[in-house]
Amino acid sequence: MSYAVLGVVIGTMTVIGILTVALAGESRIYAQLEDYGANLVVIPAISQVDLELGGLGLGALIVGENYIPEDKVSQVRQIADDMVNQVLGIEDERYRYTVSVAPKLYANSRVGEVSVMVVGIDPEEEMKIKTWWRIQEGEPLEQADQALIGARASELLELSVDDKIVLNGVSVTVAGILEETGSNDDYQVFVQIETAQEAFDKEGVVSSIDVRALCAACPVEEIADEINMMIPGVRAVAVRQIAMTEMGMMERVNRFMLALAGITLAVGLFGVVNTMMTSVHERIRDIGIMRAVGASRNQIVKVFIYEAIIVGILGGIFGYVAGTLLAYAVGPLIFEGVAVSYVPQYFPLSLILAVLVAAIATLYPAFRATRIRVADSLRSL
Amino acid sequence: MLEVKSVTKTYGEGTTKVVALDNVSLQAAKGDFIAIMGPSGSGKSTLLNIIGGLDYPTEGEVVLDGTRIDNLDENALVEIRRGGIAYVFQQYHLLSSLTALENVLLPLIFRGVNTGEAKALDILRRVGLGRRAEHKPGQLSGGEQQRVAIARALVNDPSLILADEPTGNMDQKTGMEILELFRQLNRDGHSIIMVTHNAEIAKHAGQTIVLQDGQIVHTS
Repeated sequence: MSYAVLGVVIGTMTVIGILTVALAGESRIYAQLEDYGANLVVIPAISQVDLELGGLGLGALIVGENYIPEDKVSQVRQIADDMVNQVLGIEDERYRYTVSVAPKLYANSRVGEVSVMVVGIDPEEEMKIKTWWRIQEGEPLEQADQALIGARASELLELSVDDKIVLNGVSVTVAGILEETGSNDDYQVFVQIETAQEAFDKEGVVSSIDVRALCAACPVEEIADEINMMIPGVRAVAVRQIAMTEMGMMERVNRFMLALAGITLAVGLFGVVNTMMTSVHERIRDIGIMRAVGASRNQIVKVFIYEAIIVGILGGIFGYVAGTLLAYAVGPLIFEGVAVSYVPQYFPLSLILAVLVAAIATLYPAFRATRIRVADSLRSL
Repeated sequence: MLEVKSVTKTYGEGTTKVVALDNVSLQAAKGDFIAIMGPSGSGKSTLLNIIGGLDYPTEGEVVLDGTRIDNLDENALVEIRRGGIAYVFQQYHLLSSLTALENVLLPLIFRGVNTGEAKALDILRRVGLGRRAEHKPGQLSGGEQQRVAIARALVNDPSLILADEPTGNMDQKTGMEILELFRQLNRDGHSIIMVTHNAEIAKHAGQTIVLQDGQIVHTS
């Protein structure tokens, strides 16, 4: 019986271990996706502006003369919001998935002798997209006469919180300094978009719009197509490819591992069938005795099924524990830096799987044992 | 109540064909105590197994209380084992993991009766094992184990008790004690058919049938 339990444990352990590692790997990829920030960028149709995708700086930023009228921001939001909620099947207003839409206005300026890039932002939306932004000193950007300064910029300009700077004639106070991000953000000065528009004489326009619609089902490419079709003068580019590639890879790895788990389970099942065969065979005489004193075939099979359920429950418990431990040990070897955590929902799965395996493995030998003539089973041993 | 009509049993086919029973007929009335005697391989145990539905005859009929039982399917045989016929074996055939009491209770449990403990204890007392109820077979002597097996046979109040060499594994003294127990049961009204190769034991039966090479050669 203990061999049967061991067989069940090995089978379920592998399945649970692989599922746990796979889940950890998936959440890690989702976490990486978060770092991409925006996954859709809307820029003027004929601009030279190079893309900067959230934390990933893709080359220098050149601002052309072309801008997007500000009223397009709400149109972009409308299209993205509608399409995402349609795909997710959400109709109730209260539960709508909110897409983050962050318009930006870039302007070159000088503070004293130093040239800096001033970026007008919608602080609330910008913080939602750049989830990695941390303020190392001071407060977030809230007032029109305030500025938020990148870590490197604050060093170069020798600025600290509450200092005043003048941007193209408009005076603002430093509200806070960002922690270093390793991106272009470190060299930039952020003000509210209205402040930038006023200071640089760009009322009613923005340079680009970052959109973050980050759900597994979000139809980013379709949203981009829709925006390109519906709003003239802008170009929407989905930056999901990187994420997609990685997710696709993950899916393939998952499928491969599940196949592996299935094979292990089948091999485990075979082992359990074998031990159950032996276990039943050893008790053919007992089966004969039970039948001679009035047990029906079904009653005999039931006795073995009860035993199988006990084997299954034991195997399921130990299989879950062993599988989780296996995931903790092996997970980091498969996905670098992955944080494996145990998955309570897999416990019932493990139990069901183990009981099923044990029951299937027992049913056949037990059924066969009851087909032997009583006189023959009593003669055995 | 029991009628065996021209029963033949063969094993194998062609050149390896073995005739275990050759056209055997016998009758038993209620309250009979019949001993079946004969040397090893004469077919006594085969006959007993066929009477009890543990084995099927190749030809012939077995009728118990007016019903043919030689051609019953497994489910109908289960019903007969739960009331009509009970067995006592030479090797006792107790479940070694259960206590004496649990072994006696087993037939009741399979019948779905869960309140038989007092009855089982009472029967154990009748066979002289009232104080050994909680012992497992391994802790009991051969004679005691056979008493447990007899108690187990009695618990369903069978109309016929089949005993296959019940004293075969015992010394003379214990064997006679077990035989005395059977005679007591017979006096209480149980019908018994007992296979034995011990003429001394067969003397105590009401009727003796001698088998040789699968045929009845003598009846007394």
